[in-house]
Amino acid sequence: MIWLALALLAPLSAGLAIFAFRRAPEALALAGAGLALVGALGLIAGAARANLPAAVLPFLPDLAIRLVADPLTATLALLVAVVAAMVMIFATGYMARDPERVRFFGTMLIFLAAMELLVLAGDWITLLAAWELIGFASYLLIGFWHRRDGVAGAATRAFLYTRSADLGLYVAAFLLIGVAGTSEIAATLATTGAPALIAGLLLLVAAMGKSAQVPMQDWLMRAMAGPTPVSALLHSATLVAAGAILLIRAAPMLPGGALLAIAAVGGVTTVVAGLMALAERDLKRLLAASTASQYGLMLVAIGAGAPVAALLHLIAHSATKSALFLGAGIFQHDRDSTDLEALAGAGRARPAILAGFAVAALALAGIPPLAAYFSKDAILAAALQSPLAPWLLPAALVGSLLTGAYMGRALKALWAEAVGPTLGAVPVMAAGMGALVVLAATLGLSFGALEGLLGAELPKPPLAVPVMGLAVGLGGLALGWKVAPTRLLGPLLTPARNGFALRGGIDALIARPALALATLCERLEARMLAALRRLGLSGLDLGHWLNRGDDRTIGAAIFGIAALGLALGAGARRTDAEIIDRAIFGLVDRSVALGARARRLQSGFIHRELALTVAGIALVIGILLAAPLYL
Amino acid sequence: MQHDLTLLAPELLLAGAAMLMVVAEMAHAARLVLAIGLVALLAATGLTLGFLDADTTVFGGTYRIDLIAGWAKLILLPGTALALLMARAEIAGRAREGSVYALIMLVTLGALMLSGAGDMMVLVIGVVMTGIGSFALVAWPRDDAATEGAMKYLVFGAVTGSVMIYGLTFWFGGTGSTLFAALGRLDGQTLVTVAGLVALIVGLGYKAALVPFHFWAPDAYDGAPVSVAAYLSVITKVAAFFAFAQALRDLPREAGWPLALALIAAATMTYGYLAALAQTNLVRLLAYSSVAQSGYLLMGVVALGVSGFAVPGLQIFGGAYVAMNLGAFAVVMAAGRALGDLEGMGRARPWLGAAMVVFLLSLTGIPPLFGFFGKLYLFTAAVEAGYLWLAVIGILNSVLALGVYLRLVVPMYRSPAGAPGQTGGPAAPAGLPLRAVLALCAAATVGLGVFASLLPG
Repeated sequence: MIWLALALLAPLSAGLAIFAFRRAPEALALAGAGLALVGALGLIAGAARANLPAAVLPFLPDLAIRLVADPLTATLALLVAVVAAMVMIFATGYMARDPERVRFFGTMLIFLAAMELLVLAGDWITLLAAWELIGFASYLLIGFWHRRDGVAGAATRAFLYTRSADLGLYVAAFLLIGVAGTSEIAATLATTGAPALIAGLLLLVAAMGKSAQVPMQDWLMRAMAGPTPVSALLHSATLVAAGAILLIRAAPMLPGGALLAIAAVGGVTTVVAGLMALAERDLKRLLAASTASQYGLMLVAIGAGAPVAALLHLIAHSATKSALFLGAGIFQHDRDSTDLEALAGAGRARPAILAGFAVAALALAGIPPLAAYFSKDAILAAALQSPLAPWLLPAALVGSLLTGAYMGRALKALWAEAVGPTLGAVPVMAAGMGALVVLAATLGLSFGALEGLLGAELPKPPLAVPVMGLAVGLGGLALGWKVAPTRLLGPLLTPARNGFALRGGIDALIARPALALATLCERLEARMLAALRRLGLSGLDLGHWLNRGDDRTIGAAIFGIAALGLALGAGARRTDAEIIDRAIFGLVDRSVALGARARRLQSGFIHRELALTVAGIALVIGILLAAPLYL
Repeated sequence: MQHDLTLLAPELLLAGAAMLMVVAEMAHAARLVLAIGLVALLAATGLTLGFLDADTTVFGGTYRIDLIAGWAKLILLPGTALALLMARAEIAGRAREGSVYALIMLVTLGALMLSGAGDMMVLVIGVVMTGIGSFALVAWPRDDAATEGAMKYLVFGAVTGSVMIYGLTFWFGGTGSTLFAALGRLDGQTLVTVAGLVALIVGLGYKAALVPFHFWAPDAYDGAPVSVAAYLSVITKVAAFFAFAQALRDLPREAGWPLALALIAAATMTYGYLAALAQTNLVRLLAYSSVAQSGYLLMGVVALGVSGFAVPGLQIFGGAYVAMNLGAFAVVMAAGRALGDLEGMGRARPWLGAAMVVFLLSLTGIPPLFGFFGKLYLFTAAVEAGYLWLAVIGILNSVLALGVYLRLVVPMYRSPAGAPGQTGGPAAPAGLPLRAVLALCAAATVGLGVFASLLPG
């Protein structure tokens, strides 16, 4: 109980204290993250002694708050706390000169508290609340430099994408609570049959949003507009992990149909996002695409029925990808850019950092004995043993090959012969990164103990699996190092760079139809207006244009749809406001011109609104009269 | 009889205080009027706490003292007190100041009658009492905009009110009684049931500003003083939903009203948010936003009778809505009516900005704020009632809501293009009453979200 409180409340209170006192944000942040780490260690020690720390707090009637620290959730809590602590150390160096450190560290700590709440949640309502909170905190963090071009748009887009997908989690949670009669997650996982299938698919939708799976990967690439420590924490180990964590926790319930869908989404994403990473020209965006690709691999493992393999890869990936992001942050610090061309040779200028970056990159590519070697083998073995092996194994192998290729490419760019400035030593940043590199190198050795803790020993894979894994890892690295992506990808290069025209995957689903609908409505509206005018609006009646609050509203509603689409499409909300304004003012100007001579006050238009009201009444009567037909 | 009067103590206290306030206004003692109102409201709230567990009726079943009516008082009376303070902040020292306070008290009395109605005639009296006082409140500034808004409000009220009274006579004819409790006798008389239902939906839909009976709302709110708009957008609206609950819980669901109301709810929330997206006038924006929130409240009515979450959902979200919507209007009073007035406000006036963020996030439904738990109850109720599609539309709309409300939050924290630290808008620093309202609303929005366990259910 005390460890639970420590893991959750320490970061929360430290975050609030930072906002309240507005001084010493670094010290408070380190204290908050450190205490959370202590709490998480206590939780895992309790879970290892089979003494499950759990808490049930009375909250909403019939829907108590439950927190559980079973081996799975305690492991995840520890993972989150470790990565957060290291990233905080790094951030004290990285953000040293930022005038808004207070806001940064405060928000990071509140995010950390929300993330710990999410992994420790024992009931769906708490999970939902935490899920929304991390989304909102990430909106604030991605938009941290909101005065730079395009940043506010990127943050809004990330929030809109993930929140649209959250619909799946809401409906799934209501469905499971309704079927099981309780909100306790463990109890609802006994659901079977059609509700389990539907809930599984809905959870997949939510996970796709948070874990940036195709076709919702675009927001993650744009989220790179935020500070690098944010990417290292949110976009490697925590926020994006929430989707995979959700599916891992729900795994006992998932029926075959849902597993198939999960594996399909994962397989497609690991290949598509891998190609995007290979074609990317910016180091941070390369890492982001790689993140989507690696979460695709985890979904493949879940779909193949091996959630433990997915969990191991989640852990290995968190350490390696955070280390890579932190390394990218140090190079960014030197060159004030993350463009791969601008970074050429940045690694050679800092051999120690490059060595750490390389260890993490090799670990991600699956080179033994580094962490992801073990987890990737577990995934390959699961794919091989799954009934879907003919589909899953090639996807997993291609994903692994691409991992090697894009990491090789990044290493080569950093190693290139070029001179550039180096800004002094960065001991604090290096310390945070170094600790994660050590973890990335050695975590694999703890996997045996972890499997024991989780009570799920993975079967020993046949010898072919590690051989295949090693071969594709090394092959990928060699390809990425030797062959330029232009030649490697050939005709695929341009589509990959453009996100396979999937960059607007959701834009195409939401924005374009909305725009088309808006155009249609506008035409319809114009026709209707013309007809109405012909229907004998006298000269005076034309004056109604001036004041028609609600005609303007209908028009405005249509423009609202259009504007929403434009906002999604164009991103920048400033442009968006201008467009709305121009549209509305255009309408108003037209109205003013028509009604220039009309009087200020018109009551005549109430008639038309009342006519709409009467139409509404008629509709209600119709529905009620039809009631016997459908009841 | 004496028992009846004891149970009616809060209403009687309110009525007596309103009379006293009118007398004090004759003496042009505006501060005295305000003081009487505040004391009476607080005392009535205290009295209500005494019979919160009561489940009885007075005057032959025509007026109900039950859980719905009790919680309605606990929500509406403090809400009215806050609205009085807001009005004081806005119109202090102007001519006819006290008449606003007295009218507000009388309208609240009508709102209490609505939420305790056990009889069609009490319902009609409630609609009329809330209506007539509100028309006068909207027209109070006596300028063009206010006159137009009040005119529109009045015409709509007259039409919908007569439809309502006409339709309710069918129910009387069908059951031989004006009591809601007798509505079960309508079984089998389809046309009679439909006529009364339509009447009820039209009459209360107008009060609650449901689509398509909402047209008056933006104009009336925009013409009225901001504090009056705030008051109308919460008190009469929430009362209308409690009246829905009182009337419909006695009517069999087979009459088809859940589907009709579900469709109206879906249209209301979607239309409200779409229209709000395009507004640049904050009062009109909040007017459409409160239209959209009505759609959410209606979800609780749809689930009435089959879900145990329906009534608690109405109570929790009703309370949350009163706190957050009054708060948002109070910020508008302090900042100014135009969207541009928010520019840079979060930096120049950090407390005001923080309060606005709290209200807007609660309106969006972000945990752990009060609005989130209210919406959660309403969604759960709709799903339990078999209206999963309605819950889905509600959740999709909360994405739209994000667009509406973030559009306000973002400019607040953007540094203004001009001189830094310069606030937009001519508004003076908020006075003590307004600051008190802001603090209380924010405390309720945050605190009741965190301590939701104290709420009924």
